[in-house]
Amino acid sequence: MKNFLHQVGKLFGRKEKESVPFKVLFTDFKKSLELNNQILDLINDANDKLSGDYIFDEQYIHATCHQLTDLVRELIVIINHLTNQKYPNLFTSFHKIEEDIQAILGGQVLYPVTAFTLPYKRITRDLIDSVGGKNAHIAEISSLLNIETPEGFAITTAAFSAFMQTDNLAEKVAELNTSWNKGTLSVEDAAEKIQQIILGTQLPTHLERNIMDAAITIMDRKNIEQPCFAVRSSALGEDDTFSFAGQYRSFLSIPVEGLQDAYRQVVASLYSPEAMEYRQQKDFKPNEIMMAVAVQLMIPAKASGVLYSYDPLHPETEQMIVSSAWGLGEPIVSGEIPTDHFTIDRQTPHEISEMQIVRKEESKISKGCGGLKTEAVREDQKTQSSLTKKQLLQLAEFGMQLEKYFRKPQDIEFAVDHDDHLVILQSRQLQLQHQKTPRACDLTELSARYPIVMRGKGIAAMEGIASGPVWNIDKGDNLEDFPVGAVLVARHASPLLARVIHKAAGFVTDIGSTTGHLATVAREFRVPTLFNTENATELLETGQDITVDTECLTIYEGIVQELHYYSLQEDPIEEMHEYRMLRRVLKKIEPLNLFDPNEKNFTPAGCKTYHDLTRFIHEKSVETIINIGFYHSHDRDTHAGELAWEYPLDLILIDVGGGIEGEYDHGVRPEQISSVPMQQLLRGMSWPGIWDMSPAKVDFSSFMSSLTRTTPTRSTSPEDVGRNLAVISKEYTNINFRLGYHFTVIDAYISDSVLDNHIYFRFSGGVTDSTRRSRRTRLLDEILSHYDFFCELHGDIIVARLKRMDHKSMLRRLFLLGLLVAFTRQLDVKMINDNKIQYYFKKIQTIMEESNDN
Amino acid sequence: MTTEQTTILILDDEPIVSKRLKPSLEKKGYEVEAFTKGADALARIQEKQFNIVITDLKMEGVDGMQFLTAVKDKYPDTEVIVITGFATMATAKESFSKGIFDFLAKPFKLGEINEVIAKAEAKIKAN
Repeated sequence: MKNFLHQVGKLFGRKEKESVPFKVLFTDFKKSLELNNQILDLINDANDKLSGDYIFDEQYIHATCHQLTDLVRELIVIINHLTNQKYPNLFTSFHKIEEDIQAILGGQVLYPVTAFTLPYKRITRDLIDSVGGKNAHIAEISSLLNIETPEGFAITTAAFSAFMQTDNLAEKVAELNTSWNKGTLSVEDAAEKIQQIILGTQLPTHLERNIMDAAITIMDRKNIEQPCFAVRSSALGEDDTFSFAGQYRSFLSIPVEGLQDAYRQVVASLYSPEAMEYRQQKDFKPNEIMMAVAVQLMIPAKASGVLYSYDPLHPETEQMIVSSAWGLGEPIVSGEIPTDHFTIDRQTPHEISEMQIVRKEESKISKGCGGLKTEAVREDQKTQSSLTKKQLLQLAEFGMQLEKYFRKPQDIEFAVDHDDHLVILQSRQLQLQHQKTPRACDLTELSARYPIVMRGKGIAAMEGIASGPVWNIDKGDNLEDFPVGAVLVARHASPLLARVIHKAAGFVTDIGSTTGHLATVAREFRVPTLFNTENATELLETGQDITVDTECLTIYEGIVQELHYYSLQEDPIEEMHEYRMLRRVLKKIEPLNLFDPNEKNFTPAGCKTYHDLTRFIHEKSVETIINIGFYHSHDRDTHAGELAWEYPLDLILIDVGGGIEGEYDHGVRPEQISSVPMQQLLRGMSWPGIWDMSPAKVDFSSFMSSLTRTTPTRSTSPEDVGRNLAVISKEYTNINFRLGYHFTVIDAYISDSVLDNHIYFRFSGGVTDSTRRSRRTRLLDEILSHYDFFCELHGDIIVARLKRMDHKSMLRRLFLLGLLVAFTRQLDVKMINDNKIQYYFKKIQTIMEESNDN
Repeated sequence: MTTEQTTILILDDEPIVSKRLKPSLEKKGYEVEAFTKGADALARIQEKQFNIVITDLKMEGVDGMQFLTAVKDKYPDTEVIVITGFATMATAKESFSKGIFDFLAKPFKLGEINEVIAKAEAKIKAN
C-alpha cells in the first residue's frame, strides 16, 4: 500500500514525505475559486461595456486589464502551489497574453497574422486590421449587400511588415524620421529620402510571388488575357477615424508585371511630407503606421461618377446628389472636366428633382495597360446624359442601402461598365456641414409631431435610430423575403434572425436578452436593436413606417427624418478610440478556446486568453482536490468517500472534520452525513418530484445552441475530469457542481453564532439559447431575492449572497438551494415562455411552504 | 428660468465622456457645453452660469475639486454632479461637503446619469 501511494504521489508530482495537510491545500483551493469568480465577473462586466450603454474612458480599460492581469497571475501561482509546480508553463502562455494586452494598451494595433495577399471573397469585417478599411468595405459590400464591385485582392499589413523588415528598411525609415523630428532634416528632405529608400528596396521573394499568384488567379477566373489593375492605398484607419483622404497615392491601369512597383509606390506615399506632418500633429506612434493595399481589376468604364447620399451643404433638403461623365472617374474626382449633375429625392421612389446636362468634350480612358489617355467624346454623346434614368434610380437605391449599412452619410464612387452594369468602386463616410445639425430643442418636440407607438418599454441591445417599414415575422411574414432597409419585428430574439443583419435597419422583439447571440451580432454590425418590448409584435403591422429610438426606448409612427439625420451626425461609440481599444483588448481576454478537457488543446500551451487560463485552472484545481482528498488521501485528519445515492450526482465528499459519521468504505450513505449545511442541500435536492429523472429532453434549437456552448459532457473515467466535489465539516460545506451544463458553486457556514453564518451561491452555464438562459436567470433572481438573498447578475452568471441570519433561517435557505440545484438541471429547456417564470416561482414557493410544515 | 432650456457644462479631460454625453443630452433637450481643459471651463463659468455642472475629479493638469469649489462659490444654486474613475470614500465625502448634488463612479450607464440629471433639474425647478 505504501508503495502504491508512493507511486501515485510521484505521478501526482508530490512526494509522500512532502505531503501538505489537506486543510492547507483547501485554503489554496478556495482562494483559487474566489479568484476564478472575480475574473469571470470582471470579464463579463467588461464585455457588457461594449453595448454602447455605458460611458467609460481609457482609464477604465487600463484599470480593468491591470486588475485582470494581477488576478490571473495570482491564480497561476496558486494552481502551481496546489499541484506542487505542475503547470509552470501556464506562465509562458500568460506572459504572451499579457504582452499582447500591454501592446494594445500602448496603442499598438496587433494585426492578425495572415497571408500576404487575401482575395476579396475571403475578407470579412474581422480582418479590417489586416486589410485596411477600403479593402474591408469593398469586400463587405460585395459579399453581404450583393452589390457589384470590382474583383480584387488585398496586400495585407502582414506583407507590409515583411517588406519593412527587408534590408532593415524600418530602421532606416525610423532614423530619417528621427532626424526630421530633431530638426536636422527638413520634412521635404526626410520624405524624399525615405521614399527613395522604399522605392529602391526589393520585395521579399515570397511576397513578390504571392502578388503575382493573386493577380493570375483573377485573370484565370475572369478569363482576361491582359488584365489591368487599379492599385490603391488601404491604410489602417484611413476611411474611418482619421481623414487622410487624398494623402496617399493610387495608380490606375497597371499591368500584372507592374504591380510590384505600384505596390512600392503606394507604400512610399505613406511618407509624403503632408502625411508625415499630419501624423505628427495627431501624435501617431511609429508602430501605428501600417499600410495595406487594394489591388482591383480595372472596370473599363463607359461612364463614372460620384454619389453623395446627402447634399453636404444643404442636408436639410433631403436630396442626394450625383455627378457623372463619360469614361473613367479620375478626372471627375479631381474636378478636371465638366460633369452632369443630378439631384435625387432620398425618399422612394427617388424622383429626380434636378438635372443639369453639360457639354462633355473629352473623357479619360485606359490606354491598354499603360496608364490613361484623353479621348474626344463621340459627337452624339456630347450633350447626352452620361447616366440613364434607370441607372440613376438604381444608384439612389444603392446609396440608401450603403448609408444604412455603414450608418453614416456616404460618398460613393461608381462606374458603369460596357454591359451597362453599375459597379461600386468605393464607399466612404461623407462629412456634412456641422452647423446644419438640427437644434436639439426641436427634437424634444418630436412627440407633438409624430404619434408615438410605444414609449419607455424594452431594453436597448444596441443604441441608435432605425427607421423604415416594419416586417413582422410573428404575423406570418417570411424571413427569406425580408426587404432591404426594413425594421424586423419578432416575438423572440432568435439567433436565426442574424441572417438578415446586413439588410435590417433595426430589430425590435417582444422578448430577448442583451447578452444573447443576436445582441452580439447587432452590436458588431451596429444595427439599432430593442428587446423586451413585451408586445411590439401586436402593435406593429408589416409595411407600416416607423422610427425606433432605442436609446430613448421610443417607437414613433412614420419616418422621423430629424432623428434619422441626427443619428447620422453622431459619432457612433464603436468608432471611438476607447471602444476599439476595449474591443481589441477583450479579444485577448474574453474568448474561450478550451472547451473539452479531453481535447488535445486542453493544455497550458493551448491557453490563448485569460478566460482560457481561468477555465484550465478551474478544471485542474477541482481535479487536484479530488485526487489529493479522495483517490490519494494520506492526510489523517481528512476522510473521503463517494456519495452512494439513488440520484446521479457523482459527488465526492471530503470530510475535514465531523462531516460524516460511522464506517464507510468509499461509499457514503446520505444518512451518514452529519454536515449540517450538506444535509439541508441533499434534503432539498431529493425532495419528491424535484429531481426529474428522465433524460433532459432537449429540443432542436436548444440542442443547436448547446453545440456552441462551452461545457463538455461528463467523462466516465473515474479519475478523469468532471466529478463533483464537496468539502464538508460539521458546520461547513463547499460544493463545486457541474450538473449537465451548469456550473454551481455553494459555500456555506452555519452555526449558532449568527454573525459567522453565510451562504454564497453562484450559478452559470446552460444548454440552451440566450432567451431561455435569461428567463432562467430572471427566475433564479426572483426566487432568491424573495428569500432575502442579495443577488448580482453578470451576464448569465448569477451570484447570490446571504449573511448573518439565524441557524433555522439559514437551513431553510440551503434547502431552497438544494431544490434549485436539482430543479435548474432541467430548467433551461423548460423555460419555453415568460409565463413559465411565474409558474415555476409558484411551484418552488409551494414546496417551501409544504416543507416547512413537516 | 423655468421655461428656458436647462444648461449643462461638462468637464472631463477624456474626450470620450463629453463626446458620448453631449449628443445624448442634447437630444433630450438640454443645452450643453463640453470642455476637456479645466482652464477653459473656468473661463467659461466666469461668463455664464450653468444650471448643472458635470465634472471629473482627477484629471491631468486640472483639479476637479478646485473647479467644483469655484463653481459652488460663484453660483451656489448650480447643481454639481461629480463623475470619477477613482471613487474613494474620502473624495466622495469631500465633494459632498462642498455641496455637490451627486457622485457617480465611472464607468456608468447613460441611463444612470440621465436619472441623476433629471433629479437635479427637478430640484432646480422646485426652487
